[in-house]
Amino acid sequence: MADLSVKICGVTLKNPIIAASGTFGFGREYNEIYDISKIGGVSTKGMTLEPRAGNAVPRIAEGKSVILNAVGLQNPGVEHFLKHDLQFLKDKGVCVVANVAGRSFDDYGAICAKLDGLVDFVELNISCPNVKAGGMAFGIKPESIKEVTRVAKASLKKTPLMVKLSPNVESIPVNARAAESGGADCISLINTLTGMVVDIERRKPLIANNTGGVSGAGIKPIAVRMVYEAAHAVKIPVIGMGGITCGADVVEFMMAGAKAVQVGTANFTDANAMPRIIAETDAWLDKHNIKNINEIVDALTLN
Amino acid sequence: MKDLLAVVKSNSLIAENIYMLTLTLPEDAGKIRGGQFVNLATGDNSHLLRRPLGVMKAEGRDIAVCYQLKGEGTQRLAKAEAGEKLKILLPLGNGFNLDGKKNIAVIGGGVGVFPLIATIREHCAEKNFYSYIGFRNKSAVCLLDELEKSEKLTVVTDDGSFGNKGNAVGAFLNDKDKPDFDLIIACGPPVMLKTLKKELAERNIDAPCLVSLEERMGCGIGACLVCVCKKTDGENARVCKDGPVFNINEVEL
Repeated sequence: MADLSVKICGVTLKNPIIAASGTFGFGREYNEIYDISKIGGVSTKGMTLEPRAGNAVPRIAEGKSVILNAVGLQNPGVEHFLKHDLQFLKDKGVCVVANVAGRSFDDYGAICAKLDGLVDFVELNISCPNVKAGGMAFGIKPESIKEVTRVAKASLKKTPLMVKLSPNVESIPVNARAAESGGADCISLINTLTGMVVDIERRKPLIANNTGGVSGAGIKPIAVRMVYEAAHAVKIPVIGMGGITCGADVVEFMMAGAKAVQVGTANFTDANAMPRIIAETDAWLDKHNIKNINEIVDALTLN
Repeated sequence: MKDLLAVVKSNSLIAENIYMLTLTLPEDAGKIRGGQFVNLATGDNSHLLRRPLGVMKAEGRDIAVCYQLKGEGTQRLAKAEAGEKLKILLPLGNGFNLDGKKNIAVIGGGVGVFPLIATIREHCAEKNFYSYIGFRNKSAVCLLDELEKSEKLTVVTDDGSFGNKGNAVGAFLNDKDKPDFDLIIACGPPVMLKTLKKELAERNIDAPCLVSLEERMGCGIGACLVCVCKKTDGENARVCKDGPVFNINEVEL
């Protein structure tokens, strides 16, 4: 039994396995299957200031070793979370990562102010359409990444800020540095890759939104490369995700430079994925006689 | 709710493009109500999503589900042989609540009949089911021995190749000898449920009506908000967790 605990921005997690936003709700449903106090943390469903209804259905489709989703940020609003879900997660003793999104810079500032001091991290989802910046996503250009990070950070006096980077960009290192220079305390990546699946009989995209975010085992090599690039571009901690399904995947991401990881799509394939992945990670460390998981962070050497 | 590794007992074609898969659970999964469903792995690691399938029969540790060949996932499932192990998460969803009801109309279309059969099997000893079932044609007709557990069974087909020509809603409405129903339960294609809702309203049929909905799902347990339907109050409901059975007046069809 190795020491699996990690410390990120002063926050200690019992293990570095965090549920990824959007796949785990606020933890209540998976807690009906296993005690979620076993996992390191939960990144909540993406929240906005006001409740949102999300996109039309179908919201999900499948490719080989991947899925696509376009839920469209359906959520009950941040106030609902504070009243009904936060205490549940705190009582479970998991690291609470509040994933937030907004339509404007002001939205990000306002939602961060509501969460400051109440959660362990605020994770910025910056891949949704932005009206003020001319319809571009916040998360594409380094200038808007830096600005949205700066605005969010200004509202967070106590809670560390995690900025979640999109992979649908020109340069991960440039964008990672933009988040760092805007005041991010840590970075998480990758968000989903934009994709499309076509129903050839109907000659229409399968998802109502036409495009969706691609996730799952098939995107892992892309994610590992991007995590490596980000971790070597900034000094702040990096949390890696994208296609993790087993303990070996956790080791791979951490060797590429991640201090912790998030698990998303694997929860759909295997409802007990997270406790299994934690046990597998522990077993790998034992097998390699590694007493502390932090020893494998950034442990790879390039050819 | 448990995620178990079940063993395939049998997997056979029961009508054109329709298979019945029976699995043996390694342990008791608790009571499974008609209208509840399972989330079943296809047995192929390249398919990351489970297949949500309504339970057709639950007897001890044996669970039977039926599925239509549609895409790669169900094609793979059709190849599963006796002895193969498949992960199965169950029981999911709410199921049909028949508490206090005696005379029940059952309206089913196509693959929608399977959760209705589970409901009939569960309660046929103490309740009277009047079943109105529509299939596309003769080659789609299946599980008549199960449907015949109803007090009265009317089977129709779109082309008249088996039973009268017509659809399930029409068969229900046209039945001259039906008793006063204190509940209607229905499952079938969206157009069938839509027609049913319209006809019930227009004809002032005030028996409560429960419908089971289908939607593409992610987690199957209510966490991911993928499989929503619109409620008449404007809110979204999760088909997997809040449903799949809803009062017909509660949801937009």
